[in-house]
Amino acid sequence: MVRAKALAVFAVIFFAVSAAHAADAPAEIKIGTLYASSGNYAGVSMAQYQGLRIWLDQKNAEGGVMVKPFNKKIPLKLVSYDDQSNTATAATLYNQLITQDKVDILLADFGSVLTSVAVPIARDHQMLLIDQTGSGAAFFTKDNPYIVLTSLPMSSVWPKHMTDFLVKEGPKLGIKRVALLYATNDFHGTQAAAVRDAIKASNGAVELVYDNGVPTNTSSYTVTINNIQATNPDAVLELGYVNNDIAFLRNLQDGGIKFKWLFTIYPGLETEVVEKNVGPKGMEQVFTYVPSSVMEYKPEFGMSLSQFRTTWNSKYPDGKVEFGFNSVAGYTTGLVLEKALATTDSMAQLALRKAILGQSGKLKTIDGTFEILAETGAQVGEVQPLGQISLDEHGEVKFVTVYPPELATGKPVYPAK
Amino acid sequence: MLAYAILAGLIFGLYFSLVGLGLNLVFGVMRIVNLAHGDVLMLGAFAAFWLFKLFGLHPVLSIFAVFAVFVAVGWPLYYLVVPRLLRAKDPEMLSIIFFFGLSQVIVALASIAFGSSERSIPGRVLGSGPYQILGQSFPAAWVVTGGVSALAVAFVYLYLYRTRLGYVTRAVMVHREEALATGIDVHRVSAIAFGIGLALSGIAGVFAPFMLGSVTPAMGVDINITSFAVIVVGSLGNPLGTVLGGIAYGISLMFMQTYFSSWANLLPYLLLITILLVRPSGLLGRKVRSA
Repeated sequence: MVRAKALAVFAVIFFAVSAAHAADAPAEIKIGTLYASSGNYAGVSMAQYQGLRIWLDQKNAEGGVMVKPFNKKIPLKLVSYDDQSNTATAATLYNQLITQDKVDILLADFGSVLTSVAVPIARDHQMLLIDQTGSGAAFFTKDNPYIVLTSLPMSSVWPKHMTDFLVKEGPKLGIKRVALLYATNDFHGTQAAAVRDAIKASNGAVELVYDNGVPTNTSSYTVTINNIQATNPDAVLELGYVNNDIAFLRNLQDGGIKFKWLFTIYPGLETEVVEKNVGPKGMEQVFTYVPSSVMEYKPEFGMSLSQFRTTWNSKYPDGKVEFGFNSVAGYTTGLVLEKALATTDSMAQLALRKAILGQSGKLKTIDGTFEILAETGAQVGEVQPLGQISLDEHGEVKFVTVYPPELATGKPVYPAK
Repeated sequence: MLAYAILAGLIFGLYFSLVGLGLNLVFGVMRIVNLAHGDVLMLGAFAAFWLFKLFGLHPVLSIFAVFAVFVAVGWPLYYLVVPRLLRAKDPEMLSIIFFFGLSQVIVALASIAFGSSERSIPGRVLGSGPYQILGQSFPAAWVVTGGVSALAVAFVYLYLYRTRLGYVTRAVMVHREEALATGIDVHRVSAIAFGIGLALSGIAGVFAPFMLGSVTPAMGVDINITSFAVIVVGSLGNPLGTVLGGIAYGISLMFMQTYFSSWANLLPYLLLITILLVRPSGLLGRKVRSA
């Protein structure tokens, strides 16, 4: 009898709590973000935004995402504004998302430049910044718990395989003299610093013979290329955004110049747009990162690369925004959020952070293994191997992964012919 | 490296003379500031891109199409806009506001129409292999662009100094009201100059994919800043001063890229500050007043 009473009381309490939870559940989860439909980062920002939209639309078609604190599926509402690649506009709009729209989750726009203004704003408002692709190492400090990097590693980690190859394999190939050219922003500056450190640690196995920065909006490299050539380098690293890489590769091609070993970032990250502007010949034998938009990982959560690619093509058939790594990055952000909402104890910002950190080392998506540093929120997984572009028998671009050895699919061609 | 930087600066400067020429012609004749100048250039670039992509039209041939279309658009646009601006108390300020708005509209429409990604035309279209100039090697696209820019400058010189229309255009540049009093059809002369100004910007756009790496709908802002630096250095209102301003900019940029590359984007502002402090009327400032 006592047992039956206790059971009845428990049942009443359980249903009351459940009902209270259901009543508390919001009608929607508001996700706030920015995108750039114009300006220097438009192409890549839109790719990231459209990748995120694919995830969001899929989830809403399924009735929303499971939100653990409310134990039910809740639809997602995207509140988004166009910052036009302008940091001042972005700062105003990030504030608006937090204070006026009162979003539940704040996502940064593409890249380090447009994310840099969000970092202090989010911190001041004690709002967790879901940093999608802003990988500047300076964003991640032990005293700021209000940031996590979801879709790519922090920029000091990016060049790991490339620098390892240069200092370990390079001398065996005859690479000694290295020229380093980088765009002066957080993303490329951090990578340049990592390259410098690796070369310094090589104890003279390789040496820097050219080390200069150029503004991120640089569009003409003819004189710079001539200056690099004058240093007679064995290897050249050009670290820039897509506009920089296109201009650099076009200037090389137009000048009939071929460096023996050339590394640039965006032939790998945004292959389609670079190919449209430079052509396959201009990309041949260029070394680059092999990103998740090219390399088929085996995801345990979310779509595979080929499924995602098919979805992208059917959703965006006009081709105005090219498919590339940033498309995958936007989609990956969605997957990380989905997991976090399904496991968080509450919708409090630091609880969300804890839930995201809880996925570290466990979440395997289209973008590789998600791995995050608990102290700083910086991503150290999803590291991209070094590849070299070659042309197949039809003259089409294909990637050969050359480093690390366990991922290699072929040998590097050196010197480039 | 020094010789290469000077020669590259000359070629690049010739191109930027062309970039600034249209803006300065419009300012010189109408005293209005066309803040949509960079966007007109962008439209010229996309016109060349689509003409090449859809019809395989060589960029040098697309110059003529761009010239004709932009003059045809510029002429009525003048009658629609400029007389109203000139009737205002402060036409220069009003023109800045108007053309800023127009610039935003053009960028938005172009983004919708063309997408926001980079677009370009293969450099080999303007010639294969680099050319040797005084022992230095330059891309064929640069040499052809430099040559076309020089021809465009010569065209403007002939138009202004060797035709009757040019004489009356210069009269309007010197004093609009006096020109009107002497019976010159100021509006007709200005409309032609406005059309030619836009067409010159459009032609500069045709070569933008070769000189600026790639083109996007948002490229106009940077072009505007550089163009203003070029025409202020050369002399506001004096189209031929633009040539000097362009070359000064080109050579300075190449020196900056060679010796202080990280600071190269400060160059337009440094040039503006320097010229405003040292010679506010520009390098050819005196000539414009006695033209």
